[in-house]
Amino acid sequence: MTEDPQSPALVRDDALTTQLRALVAPPTDPTYWAGLEARILAHVERRREEGAWWALPERVYRIGLLAAGFALIVAGSLFLRAQTEATHMAYETVIETADEAPVFARRGLFDDERPAPLHTPRSAR
Amino acid sequence: MTTLTLPWAVDGPVRMPDRPADEKDLVLAAQRGEPEAFTELVRRHQRRAYAVARAIVLNHEDAEDAVQDAFLHVFRALHRFLPDQAFGAWLHRIVANAALDLTRRRKVRAADELPETIASPFRDPAERDELHRRLQAALAELPARQRSVLMLHDIEGFRHAEIGGMLDIPEGTARSDLHYARAHLRRLLGDLRSDS
Repeated sequence: MTEDPQSPALVRDDALTTQLRALVAPPTDPTYWAGLEARILAHVERRREEGAWWALPERVYRIGLLAAGFALIVAGSLFLRAQTEATHMAYETVIETADEAPVFARRGLFDDERPAPLHTPRSAR
Repeated sequence: MTTLTLPWAVDGPVRMPDRPADEKDLVLAAQRGEPEAFTELVRRHQRRAYAVARAIVLNHEDAEDAVQDAFLHVFRALHRFLPDQAFGAWLHRIVANAALDLTRRRKVRAADELPETIASPFRDPAERDELHRRLQAALAELPARQRSVLMLHDIEGFRHAEIGGMLDIPEGTARSDLHYARAHLRRLLGDLRSDS
């Protein structure tokens, strides 16, 4: 340990440690430990029996999880493909619209129906 | 040969070897589904498991519950354990997790339920007098992780690296937690220490 000896809080207080050790002292009676062992095993057995109904389907659960994961990947790729196509179509639409726009503009700019001149032509005099 | 009848021994009585088995062999046997091997693992490790749990929770009953839950988890996860690893370290980590989980669940209880816990049928040796009640109250005031580090280090003698592994915290955090926990306890129990 590399505790700072200057820091009093980092030094273990032996008196306090002794009190704390007494506070959490484990039971000393051997029968207690035999009993705890029995309780642990009974607890495991009880929960094992409770869990028996899902112990076999756990394999099915795992297969299902794998299938769901695979389905998620497929759905994800389909979604991405659909998104890409939608984006592409939207892009195409914009491009096509942009191609057509100058045509309308040209028609407007170079329209043959021009207004009549304000002055009278010399030939007409 | 000793013959035992175990709760889940579906094929009838099982036979215990006369000589104590190597721990790795026991783990391998338990992984093969031999109940006597699992029982032996419980027998060998329950005291240390209890000590780890008791260092983290605030009373004996919770420590026992945490140990039971931990061994159930061990039983269920045993097939994933690599026998070349230290079974004890793995178990202690599971026990610590179970105890911390229990502590988190207990935290939602109101603080005034603590005396009810103390009045349970089993009397911790620590709960016998005023001094121990003060200690218990002071420990209850510490954040769970700091308390765990303090108890695991000062009482159970685990090293910082081991505590870090158990509680899933960096070693440096374990050191600083120990510092704060000791300082906090001294503030809380200053008068008590001068009396004792």
